[in-house]
Parts: sequence; C-alpha cells; structure tokens
Amino acid sequence: MRAVTRVLAVLLLVALSDTHASLQDTPAAGVQVVEISAERFSFTPSEIRVKAGTRLELRLRSDDTTHGFHIIGTDIDIELPKRGRGTTTVEFQPKAGRYTFECSQLCGAGHEFMRGVIIATE
Amino acid sequence: MTPLLGYRAVSRLLAPVATLLLLATSPALAQTPERPAAARRESRTNLSGYMDFHYNKVEFTDGRLDFHRFVLLVTHSFSDRIRFVGELELEHALVEGLEDAGELELEQAYVDFLLHRSFNVRAGMMLMPIGIINERHEPPMYYGVERPFVDTVIIPTTWFETGVGVHGEVGRGWRYRAFVAAPLNAAEFSAGEGVRGGSQKGSESNIGRAAVTGRLEYVGRRGLTLGASAWSGHSGFEFRPRFDVPVSVVAADARYSRNRLELRGQFAHVAIEHADQLNDALARRVGVDPNIARAMRGFYGEAGYRVISGARFGDVGAFARYENFDTQFRMPAGAVRLPQFDRDAFVVGANFWPDPDVAVKVDYSIVRNRSAFIQAPNSLNIGLGWWF
Repeated sequence: MRAVTRVLAVLLLVALSDTHASLQDTPAAGVQVVEISAERFSFTPSEIRVKAGTRLELRLRSDDTTHGFHIIGTDIDIELPKRGRGTTTVEFQPKAGRYTFECSQLCGAGHEFMRGVIIATE
Repeated sequence: MTPLLGYRAVSRLLAPVATLLLLATSPALAQTPERPAAARRESRTNLSGYMDFHYNKVEFTDGRLDFHRFVLLVTHSFSDRIRFVGELELEHALVEGLEDAGELELEQAYVDFLLHRSFNVRAGMMLMPIGIINERHEPPMYYGVERPFVDTVIIPTTWFETGVGVHGEVGRGWRYRAFVAAPLNAAEFSAGEGVRGGSQKGSESNIGRAAVTGRLEYVGRRGLTLGASAWSGHSGFEFRPRFDVPVSVVAADARYSRNRLELRGQFAHVAIEHADQLNDALARRVGVDPNIARAMRGFYGEAGYRVISGARFGDVGAFARYENFDTQFRMPAGAVRLPQFDRDAFVVGANFWPDPDVAVKVDYSIVRNRSAFIQAPNSLNIGLGWWF
C-alpha cells in the first residue's frame, strides 16, 4: 500500500507542476497559437485563458479516433481527422467571456465529458 | 432503513436536481456573457458503435470463436445543453430465453443537462465511474483481446446502473462525477467472480437504499490521466429476514502516454461487511456455502509501445501486463480461504491498427494461482475490434 501511495503522490506532483494552457509564441504579430490535443475523452489543455480580442490560432490534433471541435454559440464546428492524419487549424478572436468548446463527433462512451473552455478577459 | 425512508432520501436528493433541470431551459444560464454572431445548432442524431470478434483457446479446452460484443450507440442533441446518449449491447451474438447464452443489455440511456462546465446533471442508465475500462472500453483503445482480469472479477465491467447525478470540470483539468444509483445485489456475489453478478442492470432495480459513487479525475497534463473512484452501497435487500450487507469499492488508476509509449496501472479493493451472515443466508438458500470473502483486491501494471507508428499500412504495438487479483483476499471469521482464487496473470501480446479505429489483436495469458491442486488455465486469444 505504501508503494502505491508513493507512486500516486509523485504522479500528483507531476500533474500539478504543469497545469497551464499550451500557449506558444506567435507566428505573426498579434496572433497567439494554442496547440490542443484531443483524445478519448478529453481535450488538453481544456482551459485556455487569453485577453479579449486576441487573435487565437488553435492547432488541433487527434491522438486516436475522429473527434469534433465545436465552440458553442459560434459557427466553429470542425472535424479533427484520426491519429496521424494531420493537424487542423482554426482561428478565433474572442470578445470578453467564457466560450465552452466540446467534441461534436461521437467518439465513445465518455464522449459527453469531452469539453473545455476559452476564458477571454479584459 | 426502510424503503419508505429510502424514498424520502431519494426525494430530497431529487428536489434540487429537478429545480436545476428546470433552470436548464432558462436563457439566463447561457454559457457565454458575450458571444460572436451565434450559430445555434439544430438538433441532430448520431449513430456509432463498436464490435469485438474473438478467438479464444483456453488450455485443456477446444478453441472458440465468439462474436463477443456488438454495440450500437445513438446520441441525440435536443439542444446545445440537453443531450441523449444510448448504448445497446448484444454479447455473444445470441440471446435465448432461460439459457445461459448471450445477453442483450441497455448499457447506457441517459439525458445530460449541460448547465455549466463545472456542474451538469445526468439521469438514466449510466456507467459507474470506476476504474479505467468501465468508461473507456472501445476495443481499439486498449491492448489485449480480453479486458484485464482486474476489470472483470474485481471491478465488474461493464458496470452500469440506473441513477441520477452530477458531473463537471472544475478547472485546470480536474473533473468529477458523483452519482446516486441502484445498489449491487449481494445474493448474486460469488467466490470466483466477486461482486460481478450483483449488478441490477436497471431491470426493476431495488432502490430501497441507493448507492453512491464518484470519481475525481485529473486530465490537465498532456498524455496523463489520474483517477480515484469510490462506490458505496447496501446490498442485502433481497434477503428475508432482511440484514445489512454494506459494500464498498475503491479504485485508483493512472494512464500516461507519450509519443509511442503508453503506461497504465490500476488498483482496486472491494470490502463486504457481514460476509459471514451473507454466506449463511446463501447457504440456506442454495445448500452450499458460497465462501464469499469480506475483502477482494486486485492491481495491474501495463506497458505498451508502438514499434511501428505512422507507416502507410498502419501502426503496430507490443505490450506486457502483470496482474494480481484475489477474490478471497480477506475471509470472514470461520471461513476457509481458497488458494485457487488468489491469482496472478502475465499477459503479453501485440496490436496491429490498420486504421486508428480498427485493431487486430493477439495475446497470450499465463495465469497462476496459489492452489497445489487446481491449475489456472493459460489462454491464447486473437481478436478483431473496431469502432465506427
């Protein structure tokens, strides 16, 4: 039991050490690139914080089956091809607010858990 | 507790849930305070599914071809915030009345009311959120033809019950689920397969005292999932005179994948209180003491590696898994522990994915137990599984 506890504690520390969204340097002025991986049944990162008005370039990739990427309340609803079949890029410039995104392609028993949020603040 | 009190307890739980469901239709709970030009999605229905076709050659027996699972999933979005998910499974290809053949099971049939990222309500037939495989069992997703032994005799996958509950993500990759559901029926427990037979499967389930279950999960780091699950219920409802059989299940699991490597591990423990009374009651009913334990335990560790990845013909991965599982880990006073139920398994094999949604699998399971007289059989398994 002690060994199991120790292993879990180490994994928890590793997890807590890197909890922020994957924001990269911009390829063009004013554009912020975010790489998002989709895997049954989560997006990573699932929480993205930006300043309102930032031009976001979302680079999405699936690590297993076909997924969807839909930002609720917007026209953005795309299909992410299966593992190894490339990255899909979406541009999004949020006003201040919270934008929930979700998998829009049925991907398995836990499909409904596959959600995330973009939080744009002033 | 009497059924009447149980009804009251359930009513107390359902009252706030019902209020929230009414609020789900309110525009005031919109997800975004400011939205871009909104594109409201029309309602839509999706069909999907998975299949599992197996060849099993268990030592000392003839080989068998088995169309193990034929599963259809259907989802329907009434709106962005109200969804239906259904999963119908046919096991072993054939269902015949009163015969121990296949099973036709309604594994999922629930409505999700998606109120907020951190708080959503689910009601209907739901998967219990215990362990890795119970909620993630599409064949291309795991190594090995059959599911791990621990996910069969310690955690009774696929474990589904009727109930109601909440789920959500509270930020930075932390997710939770908490459900109230029908309890396991202790009259169906056994020495060899633990609590597996006890699922009521939503068929006029006794809900005199509802079970509670939950899972806390971390998915905030790319490739890493950590989970802790628990289930607690009272399972002695079928006996007269009635006596209490509190049962609890706890599990911890971890998965990590990076590039071609995938690691996973799981620990699960089942505790059955008053197992001595349970054995006495079952012995009076069937004439044989079923020798059910007061504690069952199992764990496994698995490493998989994609030796070929990104090739035109697909991916190939090899894996090895060690499992230890004992359905008689601790016995009630006066009961004899049977060593044949203290088992180890070493499973090695390979998956070939010609497509990410199609897996051809082969493995060999070496199973050992502590008995000097009863041998656990090894097995060769070949499988074809797909998701669409």
